[in-house]
Amino acid sequence: MIRSQKFWIAVCAVIFAAGLAWSIILLTMSHGDKVTVTRDGVVLYTLDLSKEPDREFTVEYEGRKNVVEIKDGRIRVKEADCPDHVCVRTGWLTAKIPIVCLPNRLVIEYADSDLDAVAG
Amino acid sequence: MKKLLCLPIAALIMLCSCADSSSEHIKTLYCMDTHMTLKAYGDKAEAALEKAVGTLVDLDAKWSVTNTDSEIYKVNHAGGGTVQVSPETSELVSFGRDMYEKSDRTLDISIYPILLEWGFTIHYYKVPAQERISKLLWNVNASKIGVNSSGVTVPADMMIDLGSVAKGAASDMICGELRKAGVESAVLDLGGNIQTLGSKPGSGKWKIGIRDPEGSGIIGSVSVENKAVVTSGGYERQFTENGKTYHHIIDPSTGWPAESGLVSVTVIGDSGRMCDALSTSLFIMGAEKAYHYWRKTGGFDYIALTKSGELLVSSGIAEDFDLDKDHKNIKVTVVK
Amino acid sequence: MDAKRLTRLALLTALALIIFTVELQLPTLAPVPGMKLGLANIITVYAVYSFSAGETAMILVVRVLLGSLIAGNMMSLAYSMAGGMLCLAGMLLLRRVIDKKHIWVCSILGAVLHNIGQTCAAIVLMQTSTVIAYLPFLLVSGCVAGALTGMAAQLVVSRMNK
Repeated sequence: MIRSQKFWIAVCAVIFAAGLAWSIILLTMSHGDKVTVTRDGVVLYTLDLSKEPDREFTVEYEGRKNVVEIKDGRIRVKEADCPDHVCVRTGWLTAKIPIVCLPNRLVIEYADSDLDAVAG
Repeated sequence: MKKLLCLPIAALIMLCSCADSSSEHIKTLYCMDTHMTLKAYGDKAEAALEKAVGTLVDLDAKWSVTNTDSEIYKVNHAGGGTVQVSPETSELVSFGRDMYEKSDRTLDISIYPILLEWGFTIHYYKVPAQERISKLLWNVNASKIGVNSSGVTVPADMMIDLGSVAKGAASDMICGELRKAGVESAVLDLGGNIQTLGSKPGSGKWKIGIRDPEGSGIIGSVSVENKAVVTSGGYERQFTENGKTYHHIIDPSTGWPAESGLVSVTVIGDSGRMCDALSTSLFIMGAEKAYHYWRKTGGFDYIALTKSGELLVSSGIAEDFDLDKDHKNIKVTVVK
Repeated sequence: MDAKRLTRLALLTALALIIFTVELQLPTLAPVPGMKLGLANIITVYAVYSFSAGETAMILVVRVLLGSLIAGNMMSLAYSMAGGMLCLAGMLLLRRVIDKKHIWVCSILGAVLHNIGQTCAAIVLMQTSTVIAYLPFLLVSGCVAGALTGMAAQLVVSRMNK
């Protein structure tokens, strides 16, 4: 079977369809107001966007900075000195797709946790 | 149809949160080399948090071991002389010194020169030579610290660092301040040192996660009121050289990272600085000694994760502990 | 290895680097970390069907290393390397079962493997599994980009053999 070219074309089609379906599910998944800001695997802040005042703060990693902005109950990376700026161009955090800055190891995402804080 | 249903539900939720008079206030800051989140509820919270931030910055300025203007820096560089310090500094140094004997000599605030040698303070890690460690160990002995009304004295070749108790002590202090200001509920996260004040508005106890030493999740959570929750683990700062991993919790009896068979220790108690100190101590002691220490002293509860993946939970907190759903494979043993 | 073959390999590597550098100048389509056309893959796919495994690996490793240097982004090296290696290993296996008329299929699967490798590297480095949320988007884009670069490579392979 694996020598059949049609088999491999079918595999591609399945991957494409699965990727598409999975993307749509992620885009339409519901989320709460709680957001975690994680750097290098450690949760720095857990924030409730519905209660946060508009403000900005900076997260540093090995001397490089990401400026995070909270405004009108939304959150985004406003400025960054990472090389690719993907985090900035991602814009406001929407849906269950995190804002990620790979070079600076920063992740901002909606949390489904009901924890008030994490010790450690 | 489903979407239509969502609207009234969302409206209801919004109404509920409006009716809740205890509004949440949050402050985040970077202080004492770590990220802090202070959350407090009620009308008085805003002003009280503002003040708490000031207190934290002030304490950091006094207790920093690297800031040349700090009281601790002055104490360390007085060449054996006595340095006049603020009451809170002298109080904490005296607490740290007393904890040395009380913790069976596992917590030593004069371990700093050895941490420096390992490079843990500056992230420039190296494994020191044994002779170097042995030589430095001569001057590691917190009982030699003098504290009295005229100030703090450390011997000329000794250096102290309040890092192992500072965050706990700071959380105690701001917790007291918030209470005085009329705040009835708050949760303070000082870089993973958690202190709770009162209970959570609306839902009772605070739910505090305990970080999973591997990965970014949690191994479980404890539900507490008016308690401090502090976790210590080698994972917080470590490096690998020649295939061996070295972490930052140094056993003062050897000068080497503690090899006690524990991966992380969480202490739950009334006093933040006590929890802070004990989480380090119990980690160094290991499961067996920690258990006997807990039986003998009491006044706190602990949760210890062993290298073999067993979780030891002391009986006082067992009922309020929940294992995380992703870690059901961990064996939980309640110790009595 | 004779000088002629070595020169061809060097030339291909240089070509891959040029394509890579040109692509750096193009605006990225969507703000998903790691999402790109991967035009330099045309060379890799072509090499898979024209050279030995070792030779193809050489082209790829040199291209990824120098590419990261040119981009001035050494942090992305781990991601590119993890993706590149998985992609290469997969395509080298697949070339045994996928014929030269279906290079584009092999290229799609290679691109998908590249995305999986990248995501795994990100999970390890970032110490969080949340980055997996980007995988579906990468898979979709990988299929499209893989098909495009694969067709280009197929064209090259068929014309070079004439």
